[in-house]
Amino acid sequence: MLAESIFYVTVTAYAVASALFFSHLARSGGSVRAGKAAPQVLGVAASFHAGYVCLASIMTNVCPVKSIHYVASVAALMAAGLYLLLRRRWRIDALGAFVAPVCLTFVLGSRFVGVPDQGVGGWLLAFHVTVNVLGDAFFLLACGAAVLYLVEERRLKQKRAASLFGRLPPLDALDRAEHLLLWTGFALLTLGIVSGTVWARRIETGSPAEAARALLAYGSWVLFASVLVLRASLGWRGRRAAYGTIAGFLLAVAVLVVYLVRGPAGVGSSHLAAADIHDVANGGAL
Amino acid sequence: MIVVVGLSHRETPLEVRERLTVEGEAVVALLQALLERPSVREAVCVSTCNRTEIYAVAQGDSETDGAAAARDVERVIAELAEKNGASGVAPYLRTHTRKEAVRHLFRVAASLDSLVIGEPQILGQMKDAFETAKSSGSVGKYLERAMSRAFHVAKRVRTETAIGAGQVSISSVAIDLARQIFGDLSGRALLLLGAGEMAEAAAKLLVKEGGKLQVVNRSPDRAEELAREFGGSARPWEELEQALVSADVVVASTSAKRFIVTRAMVAKAMRARRGRSLFFIDIAVPRDVDPTVNKLDNVYVYDIDNLSNVVADSMRGRQAETERAEALVNHEADAFETWTEGLNVTHTIVALRTKVRSSLAAELEKSLAGRLKHLSDADRKALDTMLDAAVNKVLHTPTTRIKAMAGDPSVKELVTAVHHLFDLADLARELEAKDRPASPDAQQGPNSAPRERPRPADTPNSDDDAAKSHPAGCSEAAPAGEGDGALASSPNRETAGR
Repeated sequence: MLAESIFYVTVTAYAVASALFFSHLARSGGSVRAGKAAPQVLGVAASFHAGYVCLASIMTNVCPVKSIHYVASVAALMAAGLYLLLRRRWRIDALGAFVAPVCLTFVLGSRFVGVPDQGVGGWLLAFHVTVNVLGDAFFLLACGAAVLYLVEERRLKQKRAASLFGRLPPLDALDRAEHLLLWTGFALLTLGIVSGTVWARRIETGSPAEAARALLAYGSWVLFASVLVLRASLGWRGRRAAYGTIAGFLLAVAVLVVYLVRGPAGVGSSHLAAADIHDVANGGAL
Repeated sequence: MIVVVGLSHRETPLEVRERLTVEGEAVVALLQALLERPSVREAVCVSTCNRTEIYAVAQGDSETDGAAAARDVERVIAELAEKNGASGVAPYLRTHTRKEAVRHLFRVAASLDSLVIGEPQILGQMKDAFETAKSSGSVGKYLERAMSRAFHVAKRVRTETAIGAGQVSISSVAIDLARQIFGDLSGRALLLLGAGEMAEAAAKLLVKEGGKLQVVNRSPDRAEELAREFGGSARPWEELEQALVSADVVVASTSAKRFIVTRAMVAKAMRARRGRSLFFIDIAVPRDVDPTVNKLDNVYVYDIDNLSNVVADSMRGRQAETERAEALVNHEADAFETWTEGLNVTHTIVALRTKVRSSLAAELEKSLAGRLKHLSDADRKALDTMLDAAVNKVLHTPTTRIKAMAGDPSVKELVTAVHHLFDLADLARELEAKDRPASPDAQQGPNSAPRERPRPADTPNSDDDAAKSHPAGCSEAAPAGEGDGALASSPNRETAGR
């Protein structure tokens, strides 16, 4: 009952934070108060969110990173935490308009995926899931920065006054933030890929569908690596890097969605079926 | 009653306005001249290049008092005009009283009456005018409150509407765009193509932002001279392509008849720059930078028309916000009117109690000196207490009802009736007089008592940088960067005032 209440407070707070961020961005010179309040409300939402995840996982005796039910929720929580941590330092306050609604979607979405008392075992898998979830949180922020970059870049190229999205961060700040977030996410994804591969070899099971899912995960890794290498070698920054980042994130999300959707179907009464464990292992980006 | 008499850019030509501009000691002398008039109780003088206005409080609250104060203020302004060699000022003078005067004050502070709507400098100028008046001893309870509310309203308008959004001069738009691309401009490399007056003005602005300057000009001597002036370096014209590799912001203002920065040249430079952003501000006519350069990744080209369009958009945006701002100002003016009426009611209530109490006390005094002479001190004290209780009891209902009507339009009639019935007019006026500012002489005199002046409850924060940091001289209408003549061909120079 208490966990339920905290869940609804979390959802409400994320919704309010989203509304405040959009109200702040909606027009230049718009609601300054909304702009100040939005990150605070997001902080409150993230706190309740953390409380919900802790409480619910204790009540069901399941580690959050080992449960399909919590994976998306924890990824969103980490993204919100990272945003709150980095927003001032990297001048990416406006990114909240991307993070808050995504968190809201993930938290709500987690209600329809799996059941809280189903968990998967093994420390290697726990490590694999943790680094991938954290990596996804970084990619989510990087994707947000990339989207904002494209919006702002298009406006500047078309020489329109900053009326609608007048409060976006400077282009260079967005580009730099996107690059740093991508690097960190990529390092975590690499760990996830390695640990997932090791786990997959242990299980030694698979199917064409699982192979395709693994392919998506490896594909996202290759895409992110290309973005970083091309930037370093040929100076592919700005718009090109933004498109690459968004594409990579969409692949990572595809892996996550497929895993989440398929997960419950193959899960046994208390543990993941071997095939699903293999999915997790191969789905590097989760 | 508050009155405002003055003239502004709306109806008065510059040659008249400039002769009525007062500053420094002249303002103090003007305020003292106003206070010497019997009809004027408080005064503040706001004088900028676009307006000279005197906000005054009349001795009484009647229409006659207001008219007398307005006449006296007009005379003082006429004397000032005569002294400064201006004639025919009277037709330009505009007078507002009561709520209209308060509304005008709030509109001026909120920059709704400025030449460039939403410019922040007027607020700083009004704060200065208020401080000068305070130190001259011409501010009492009424103007203290009115000016404080005006500053509060200005702050609300600025934060709750987009009246100050966007940039309204070519130079400030250019700087703002550079900030939208690079963020902090400190340490950024600025390249000037051409070393004429316009380039110099642009350099001044960008160097002020912390940019490092390089100058490329066909005439090396002029390039050296300009670079030296701003602590930068000059490069020969032949090194233009190399200079593009290291620059972040390029200001092009040569008089060349064809493009001197081509797409091929920039594409090559961008490869060497490894894609770092490059911003061209092309203020030359004919243009110096090929417009197709804008199609290259991470390169942004704004010519004079593009910059002018952004200015026009900002101006339109501000205009659209004025309706919301006006509604806010009207709401605040209503609230202030209610406070003013409450103040009059308070004076009436205090006068009524004083009158009743003193009448009864006088009768009691007579009895105590006659038939009740034998009463002890304790009995006399008890009678005194009983007298207070009786006054409270008798006046409780009328006091409560008068207070309840404080915001009602008919309260003035009621106050007048009470004054008439109990003969309170003089007493109420005496109480009002206690709110008058002490004279400067009394305030500064060696034997004078320290002057009490109420602090405004809602004086705006002093950290309002935009309001405080207005440059010397005429700045009411000059947005940031406009005053230094940057990009002199800016089409909006006329709208931005001198």
